Amino acid sequence: MKSERLSFQDEINRNKMKSTLLIACVLVFFIAFGYVISLALDPGYFFSIMILAIILSVTYTIISYYNADKIALASVRAKPADRIKHAALFNAVENMSIASGLPMPRVFIMESEQINAFASGRDPRHAVICVTTGALQKLNKQELEGVVAHEMGHVANFDIRFMTLTAIMVGLVAIAAEMFLRSLWFGGEKRDNGNAGAVLFVIAIFFAILAPIATQLIQFAISRKREFGADASAVKFTRYSPGLRSALIKIKHDSFSQQDVKRYPKAVAPLFISDPFRKKLSALTSTHPPIEDRIRKLEKM
Amino acid sequence: MVAFLIWALIIVLILVVLAFMGYYNRFITLENAVDNALSQIDVQLKKRADLVPNLISTVKGYAKHEKDIMKDVTESRKALLAAKTLPARVKAGADLQTALKSIFALAENYPQLKANENFLQLQQELSAIEDKIAYSRQYYNDSIMSYNITVERVPGAWFAGLYGKKHKEQLQITAEEKAVPKVSF
Repeated sequence: MKSERLSFQDEINRNKMKSTLLIACVLVFFIAFGYVISLALDPGYFFSIMILAIILSVTYTIISYYNADKIALASVRAKPADRIKHAALFNAVENMSIASGLPMPRVFIMESEQINAFASGRDPRHAVICVTTGALQKLNKQELEGVVAHEMGHVANFDIRFMTLTAIMVGLVAIAAEMFLRSLWFGGEKRDNGNAGAVLFVIAIFFAILAPIATQLIQFAISRKREFGADASAVKFTRYSPGLRSALIKIKHDSFSQQDVKRYPKAVAPLFISDPFRKKLSALTSTHPPIEDRIRKLEKM
Repeated sequence: MVAFLIWALIIVLILVVLAFMGYYNRFITLENAVDNALSQIDVQLKKRADLVPNLISTVKGYAKHEKDIMKDVTESRKALLAAKTLPARVKAGADLQTALKSIFALAENYPQLKANENFLQLQQELSAIEDKIAYSRQYYNDSIMSYNITVERVPGAWFAGLYGKKHKEQLQITAEEKAVPKVSF
């Protein structure tokens, strides 16, 4: 019992550390990128545009940050769950809210054949948990509790806030890179500061093309780490890893029509417990770790 | 040189004051979490006790002669409501659980009772509450564990001594809960 407790606690701590490291990498990258660009271009010109871009993107993200839950729920057409009709779901969420010591989140249901669920809301006080009708039909009590515990794990670890912050940074880098590349079209004559200037210019273009790709990859890496973290938290809350593990095994063998996939907008896909599209892409560009890896990790906990 | 030393001293002083404040607040937060967890257990125990009179009146309609079992349930409910300390309440809660189990076992002999909608609903509610009691106890022990870790680990232990914060005991599982239920044929 003792060593078991330590292992999931360790898993959560390690995840927090890695995530902070990744965020730091994005920041350093962003600063270096801005510095090189400002050297290559006329600094005064650059900063005025940067400030404008930052103000615009920050207001945009603040609005979406405060409405993250509403946007996510509306985009999958989720409806509030009924306390009597969905008593099993309500019990699972209440149990996990007690086990985690977090306030009771609002509970929603979305129409879909596949087993899936997501959590949203900027902090535990504004959290929502949404489960598919497929999950309610196909999962038993322990499995449903495991899935809800995983979502409560996202809430407890402040994943929604964290993912929003990374999205802001990825967005900023993308905007800065875009603006720089566009400025080349009409800022041609200004480049008359010799050889060193030309070299810097090439570096800056190189950066501008690579930066958005690199930050996107970092965002995916953070997203994958967060899934493992939520799994570890789920075990902490339920003290019963076979529940979530067997739910993940069911998700792995889950079958649903291609029609069903259309219910999921691309933008909300990273929120879900498993990728609704099940794309077979390389490990680098997926938002979720392979389900087999998660099952294997749960076996060890 | 003197100016540098004075500045260094001021910075160290500020850090020390911040550490004192930080640890004080940390202890208060953790203690509040423990209290909150405790009241969560009470809420669930109370909910269960409140459902009992309902259950008794439903069962009475079908199984009038089973007076002993009903008396057991009513009495353990009274004991639960009267219990003052937490271990006593948890003990009384476990007794009530055992008594309720015998009522549900009894229902096997009364098909009409078993089919009663009210009875079925109460049975479901009571089993859901049982889960919640287990989870609230788990959270209580979790919050005591994080309190104890802060109080006993250095540097928290130095501040804990100053503020008079001591190790708290976790809830223990009672002997009858630990025992594997006996099945007799």
